[in-house]
Amino acid sequence: MDKLKAVSWFIFVISVASILYALIINPPNWIVYAISIVFIPLSILSFGLLSMARGKKEEEEDKRKEPFIGY
Amino acid sequence: MNLMANILLNVIISFLVGSVLLGLQRKVMARIQMRPGPPIIQHLLHTFKFFLKESAFPKTAAMPFYIAITAMLCVIWVAAVIVGPVTEGSLLLFFAIYAIHKIVEHNAGSSSGSPYGKLSCVRAVFSAAAEVPLFAVLIIIYLKTGTMILSNIVTYQNQHGALLLSIPLAALMFFVLILSKSPYSPFAITKGKDIVSGYETEHFGLLRGYLMFSESIAWYMLLWIFLTVFIGGLNPVGYLIGMVVITAFVAFINALTPILNPNHSVMTQVTLAFIGIVGSVILLLY
Amino acid sequence: MDISILGGPILGIIPLGDIVLYFTPFNLFMFAAALAFTALIAISSTESQVEAEFGTLKNREVKVDKAEFKLRRFLAIVCGLATAGAMVTGDLFDFTLFVTLIGIVNIGIVAAVKEIDVLDAAFQYGLIAMIGTLPLFGGAALVLAATGTISLLQIVQIPYTTSLMAFGSILFFLGVAGETGVAPFFATKAEMFRTPGSPFLLIIHLSSLLVIVRTIEILLIINKPF
Repeated sequence: MDKLKAVSWFIFVISVASILYALIINPPNWIVYAISIVFIPLSILSFGLLSMARGKKEEEEDKRKEPFIGY
Repeated sequence: MNLMANILLNVIISFLVGSVLLGLQRKVMARIQMRPGPPIIQHLLHTFKFFLKESAFPKTAAMPFYIAITAMLCVIWVAAVIVGPVTEGSLLLFFAIYAIHKIVEHNAGSSSGSPYGKLSCVRAVFSAAAEVPLFAVLIIIYLKTGTMILSNIVTYQNQHGALLLSIPLAALMFFVLILSKSPYSPFAITKGKDIVSGYETEHFGLLRGYLMFSESIAWYMLLWIFLTVFIGGLNPVGYLIGMVVITAFVAFINALTPILNPNHSVMTQVTLAFIGIVGSVILLLY
Repeated sequence: MDISILGGPILGIIPLGDIVLYFTPFNLFMFAAALAFTALIAISSTESQVEAEFGTLKNREVKVDKAEFKLRRFLAIVCGLATAGAMVTGDLFDFTLFVTLIGIVNIGIVAAVKEIDVLDAAFQYGLIAMIGTLPLFGGAALVLAATGTISLLQIVQIPYTTSLMAFGSILFFLGVAGETGVAPFFATKAEMFRTPGSPFLLIIHLSSLLVIVRTIEILLIINKPF
């Protein structure tokens, strides 16, 4: 799998694990605040990066350069 | 209840209720303009839909800044949920969150390199002048109640009655602030259609869904803060009714006004702030 | 008056001799936000702006070149660290020093750019920032003269506000407004943001807004209306 998917899976697993940790173990309040502020957004972002559709590989470069080649 | 579960529940509720309220706003606007309008859950459906769409990250974008700035928007509004419904902390923190929201509007626009984003970026800096009313509202609330902590403000209102009745001009200024954050409002210069979608133009697909998620939470939190600070002591049904009423009222105004040009938008907000501040000081002294 | 009615309960104090840093949830949040954005700036590349060309239908890119990039990134990180410091300092004079550093570095961040309108706006902002240092330091000095201390944690214990303290804080606020370039003192600071280098422009805007929010807390600490 390519770099984006690998990084997204990594961040997603870490985020969900820390949220579950905070839910189950019930650490002191300041740790819960830190986990929720950092890892709730990261979990949603990484979930989105995993769920988003990907186009065909050969078109990808064209789509990224679009302002300069014009569709 | 477990604190983390409390936070998660509040985030989910704020997202769902915020999305439905934004959808309701579009529906009311449409009906005033004598067209059927989209279903009320449209905003919610769009948010989910965007998570499944294809996203290309432009070659000209500043990476990873371009993606991280959308994550920052979610971070600050999750922090707002923690400061508000979960812990009822300091209102000054809410001001800081609102200021950072402006920063995100500014930099989401400039991070992609698109000219529409750049225009929205500069307009976001102009519209920071609209924070003067928020600054004044906080000072007036502080002068009236002697505290900036939300739980103390609610206690004050239980003893002395709703702040809506004792400092109505401050409530009006806060309402203008809510109006400026609503879609299609006369003050929505950063997202005006004359610049396509403003700072959101080049954040499409997944990142647009992510921005919509954060904006739903933002809408809910703005209304929650208004109801808590100016009416206070409401149960969940009271909050829901209050939010629906404010959303419908905002939709009335948005349906019937055009978007003002940037200079007029800023000057209107500053003028309303000036009237509000002078009026409130006079009311406080007498 | 207890400082906890403003930003929440004091979570901790770091005494560095006379200079005391204090953390309430409010200060801690802004400190963390400033550091998070600074870290983001340190790892980001810049965007290339797309502009229309005259005479053809093509677009051209306006980029930040390597030497300019390194210089501006360094200044942006310094600005971010100064902002973070200004958020937690419990010392009025320390705060004014951080604010002047932010003002200087803000000009430096756009001074390397090669666009005339941006340089004009930066020059005028520089003039106003320089003029703003007088009321800024003068106001802080007047507060010191009126209260006998520059430690905010001690000023908050004083139960009354004299007229000199109020005057000093008005000057202080004018100084902050000049240094950070807020409307109505410098409404065309926005012209400085039309240049490429999005992460660096972020820190200019962020530092100004966070410093103003902190200034409100400081003004409420010095002036006690009841």
